[in-house]
Amino acid sequence: MAADKDLKTILGKLKYSDDAKVVQQITEQTKQVHARMAGIKYKLAVMSGKGGVGKSMTTVNLALAFARQGAKVGLLDVDLNGPCVPRMLGLHGQSLKMTPQGAIPPVGPLGVKVASMDFFLDDASPVRWKGPMDVSPVWLGLMEMNVIREFLSDVMWGELDYLLADLPPGAAADKPPVIAGFIPDLAGAIVVTTPSEVASDVVQKSVTYARDMGIKVLGIVENMSEYRCPSCGEVNELFEGNTEAMCEALDLPLLGRVPFDRKLARTFDKGQPLLDETYPTIQRYQEIAGRIRTLLDYKKVLADKL
Amino acid sequence: MKFVCLNCETYMNFEKVEKPGEGSLGVFFGCPSCNAKFSMVTNPGETQMVSSLGVKLGGRTVAAEPFEMTRGTLKEEAQAGAGQMGAYLNEKIQGGQPVAASTATPEKAGEKASGGCPFSAMVAEMGLTGTGKPGNGTAPVSSDFTWTADAKEKLDRLPAFVKPMVQSSVEAYARKNGFKSITLQVMDDSKTDSPNGMTWSREAEQRLENIPDFIRPMARKEIERVAKERGLVTITAQVMDETKDKFMKFM
Repeated sequence: MAADKDLKTILGKLKYSDDAKVVQQITEQTKQVHARMAGIKYKLAVMSGKGGVGKSMTTVNLALAFARQGAKVGLLDVDLNGPCVPRMLGLHGQSLKMTPQGAIPPVGPLGVKVASMDFFLDDASPVRWKGPMDVSPVWLGLMEMNVIREFLSDVMWGELDYLLADLPPGAAADKPPVIAGFIPDLAGAIVVTTPSEVASDVVQKSVTYARDMGIKVLGIVENMSEYRCPSCGEVNELFEGNTEAMCEALDLPLLGRVPFDRKLARTFDKGQPLLDETYPTIQRYQEIAGRIRTLLDYKKVLADKL
Repeated sequence: MKFVCLNCETYMNFEKVEKPGEGSLGVFFGCPSCNAKFSMVTNPGETQMVSSLGVKLGGRTVAAEPFEMTRGTLKEEAQAGAGQMGAYLNEKIQGGQPVAASTATPEKAGEKASGGCPFSAMVAEMGLTGTGKPGNGTAPVSSDFTWTADAKEKLDRLPAFVKPMVQSSVEAYARKNGFKSITLQVMDDSKTDSPNGMTWSREAEQRLENIPDFIRPMARKEIERVAKERGLVTITAQVMDETKDKFMKFM
């Protein structure tokens, strides 16, 4: 009887072939991601373990800061379920232009190219997938990772100096470090925190996990360091924390401190970002972008200054 | 996935994929020897697994379009809330009864009454406390060293979440160097201590000061790497020169 045969012996005699071509297609997908990313000089991920610390605000302003310094910049909004970059840059309602060669991203202020899940959604619509996502977050995770893969492989960024990926919140058990690890030749991650001890605690976990994944963490940006009064311009502390101590413990540079600035935030809420480089808070972002450039070119700095 | 014809002791060939119903795939295989045929039918969950990989079973006949999977899988407004797999499970497992939220589980035999956490024994076995932190060794108050008042004050000024790490690092430095007491000087010196066991000459330290502070830790690591490659344990001006030469090619 056939059922009594020893399967191990039978398989030992047979040569396996991938006739469903699944492995071949997955290999091609990976090659496509690498090919598409090849024209980008520095790929940077902006992440945090904590939600609500201002990752998107930081990412968008760093992208604008790099662009102001004459760089060609792309911004990938990887927060699939809460995409807000297009709205902040006045691109909400636009879409990726599909061509047989790939998707052409809309261009925002200062020439920053943007790709976001927002371009696939109607006003106020959440992301909903066809299929049995209602019972298994595992399927949802698979789907989302593949959507991110499509954002990496299908957007025609062209030649860029910097591609900044705005990652969703989450630390070890969530996806951000995994997503960052998905980006080929990632130059490093910039971690955003607030001075709050709660945020710092979670951010530390995120840094540790990112390092476990082999991601180089470039430094930390402290957001909402202070509050700048829109009327009188006086600056006061919002939280009591010590980001410097955290940076020292993690052996990471503090890239800069950015105040909570209602006036600036409001311009992004309205989709009409303030672009004036003499504005004090924007100058902070310019300084941080300068430090990131130095970090990325640290070998040159060493050759020059040692 | 492959299937074996046990009669002919050969792999069956993949033949085609059909869609017998919404959320279902029929994958057809045939034995190249006896010509036996069979079809594997997937449920919505299994179909979703394949779809989530962004691949076509049997390979592509036409090139992929940009964002093919994203666009093809985003649910349109009218379809929102379909709950396809929930219905499938209800039908197959619950016999048509809606899947109810689980009610409070009564205490099982053998489970400790105190605390009620089914994982408490496992947590205890792993040597962790109820907070998930290691049960010993990290508490800032316990120390084999005598901390001077000013050093202790400096440590206490740090946020609670950083303190154990800093304390551990300073004490490791003190242990390595045979100090019994932690002073402000020991704390300061521990900051520049190399985890690689390298020592820095005064001149080398001074030259490192030329590097902007936010990239100094990175520079320190690079210089120590160069020294390690050369089998050196002391960073001297010569190591600094060699590191500089190494990076000159990036200028």
